[in-house]
Amino acid sequence: MDLIIGQVLPYLAVVVFIGGVTWRIWRWMIPRIVHNIALSPFPGSWSAAIVWMLWQLATFWNLLKFDRSLWLGAWFMHIPLFLMLGGHITAFYTLGLQFHLAAPGIITPKLSLNMSDWIGTVLGIIFLLALVYLLGRRLVNEQTRAISSASDYVHLLLLIAIAVLGNLMRLFPEYHLGYAPVREYLAGLFLFNPQPLPEHAIFITKYTLVMVLMIIFPFSKLMHSFGFFWERWIVNRPFAEPARGLPGARLQLRK
Amino acid sequence: MSEVTGLRQPKRASVDLFRKLGVEPVPDNEKVQMAIRHIDEFRFKVRSFVMAMESCVKCGACAENCHTYLGTRDPNNIPAGRVDLIRKAYKRYFTVQGQLFPGLVGAQDLDLETIEKWYSYFYQCSECRRCAHVCPFGLDTAEVTMIGRQILFWLGIGPQLHTATAGAILRTGNHMGLTKAGIIDTLEFLAEEIEEDYEGLKVEFPVDKPDSDILYIPSSADFMLNANTLKGAAMFFKYVGANWTISSEITEAGNFGYLMDQNRIQREMVTRLMEQATKLGAKKIVWGECGHGWRAAKMYVSTVSDLPASRRIPITHIHDEIEAYIKAGLLELDPKRNDRKVTLHDPCNYARACGHADNMRVIMNAVVPKGAFVEMKPNREANFCCGGGSGILFDDPDMYQFRIQASNKKAEQVRETEADTLCAPCSICKAQLYPMVKEHKLPVEVVGLVDLVGHALVFRD
Repeated sequence: MDLIIGQVLPYLAVVVFIGGVTWRIWRWMIPRIVHNIALSPFPGSWSAAIVWMLWQLATFWNLLKFDRSLWLGAWFMHIPLFLMLGGHITAFYTLGLQFHLAAPGIITPKLSLNMSDWIGTVLGIIFLLALVYLLGRRLVNEQTRAISSASDYVHLLLLIAIAVLGNLMRLFPEYHLGYAPVREYLAGLFLFNPQPLPEHAIFITKYTLVMVLMIIFPFSKLMHSFGFFWERWIVNRPFAEPARGLPGARLQLRK
Repeated sequence: MSEVTGLRQPKRASVDLFRKLGVEPVPDNEKVQMAIRHIDEFRFKVRSFVMAMESCVKCGACAENCHTYLGTRDPNNIPAGRVDLIRKAYKRYFTVQGQLFPGLVGAQDLDLETIEKWYSYFYQCSECRRCAHVCPFGLDTAEVTMIGRQILFWLGIGPQLHTATAGAILRTGNHMGLTKAGIIDTLEFLAEEIEEDYEGLKVEFPVDKPDSDILYIPSSADFMLNANTLKGAAMFFKYVGANWTISSEITEAGNFGYLMDQNRIQREMVTRLMEQATKLGAKKIVWGECGHGWRAAKMYVSTVSDLPASRRIPITHIHDEIEAYIKAGLLELDPKRNDRKVTLHDPCNYARACGHADNMRVIMNAVVPKGAFVEMKPNREANFCCGGGSGILFDDPDMYQFRIQASNKKAEQVRETEADTLCAPCSICKAQLYPMVKEHKLPVEVVGLVDLVGHALVFRD
């Protein structure tokens, strides 16, 4: 168990994840953008186009404008997810001192640990609620149900399971597992110096589910996280308008 | 309802018609295999198609934003659901997950029944791209409709309307099958009408005039249904003193090739266009009121024609030019002549594909009295399609019924404005809206935008 889940699966998951994502994007790059099918109004320049993409990314603008009830679930699911991904990386690396290290004069190590706890806990709860909301919406909303396949539910259930296990460890002291043992184990993986998995059933289950998620990622709709950029690159691009004015006409536009 | 398939399908073009267009219809037992081969080829050619196949999360945001779904409540008319008609097969044959776990990921073998569904649903989609506009990723399901229609065309399946229209293009260079004699005849008649209506104003409609600076491309429907648009354009050209002409070889702003066969017929139109423009010595091509055709010209000509730099002739829309002349203060317009409460329908291809939301409003505000122009809601890029987009103007009773349903949303929008005039500056919109305002009992007159310009122009000499 320790060998397979603790020492083999992690490397497999990383290889499949990075290799799979690269392969999918490689294949997206083969077909061309045949015609300019940009959506108007056209951005004036590439920088304006990129600002628009980032605005869409940060606010989920289209959903906010055209499907408010979906926006509610989607935005409050994705934004905590990104923040928590960042939180996991920094908190495990710095043992919860990330805020202290970012602003040493202002934030004490103790405060940093508290912030890490509180922000993580709140985001984790929002994340779970949003996921449950999205699952409910998918089941209740007749249009969305009509176009869903089993995998759409499986992805949500997988994320919900991960969120529930994470929240269990956060909210109940008896299930808590500190940063240190996990860091030690992960450092072992990074340095190819195997360390045993922390003996903690909830952690191991959650960790395994995350690796399963990484493995199915490149073979699922989860690729939309990259697809966003590849599609917007096609439809949000500048277009140079031809000059106005009728050559040879009696009335001429001033140059 | 087709009696054979039980699906809502437009009347089919005959085998003979397909043969005339260079397509040998594929026998039923080979259709599936051939369709898969085409999908396989497209996934290495067209990135927008691949992204639509691989990046949809089935969030359903497109559903309530598609006028076809709103009108029919058929799940296959949800944009994501319509794309699934191809995506299920795409997943089955071209993705790892679809090969290993078809049931789980919603992958399915392609069969003839599904191909019949393509014919039904890809011709209920109007390629209006409102779904692309609202999609959080910008996924363009119109690209899938276009490829679906292209594959159907290659299999020898297509509506009589589109296919016969394409045949008329190859014969005459326009959709209506107008001959040069017919064109000249109509134009002389229009010139007489202008003379009568505008105190003896003499306007010429030059046809195939050599050494013309401007080649004007009217929609062929303007010769029959929307004559005021053609008159308005001629009056504008007269006002600014343009050296312009119409070509009898390419009297067509639309491009039905773009709607069903982008491989051959669309190219044929572009080739004709560029040959005629060069022959007549045109320095600029100015486009008439036609939505899909304008998109095909503005956004596709450079990549479809692949002309040498020396032969590239700039193409603009007549709205672009009128807007520029208005902004430069060169037109004297009398808005009081258009004293009516008017609302503007944004043709999909203008608003979402060609960036015309502004110029139409600049013109509108200059040609009607202050306060006479009321916006419908939503408007500009978020406006809804008329329900006839991409030429789905079928007359067979079942499809006609569908057109009324697909225009439910438009009727609702127009009714809320309480306008008496509906400006819809696109030939297909007009052709759809003339009967639709009757069916929905809307007390509005459907007009083009250039019509209003011509009517408001004040001639002094």
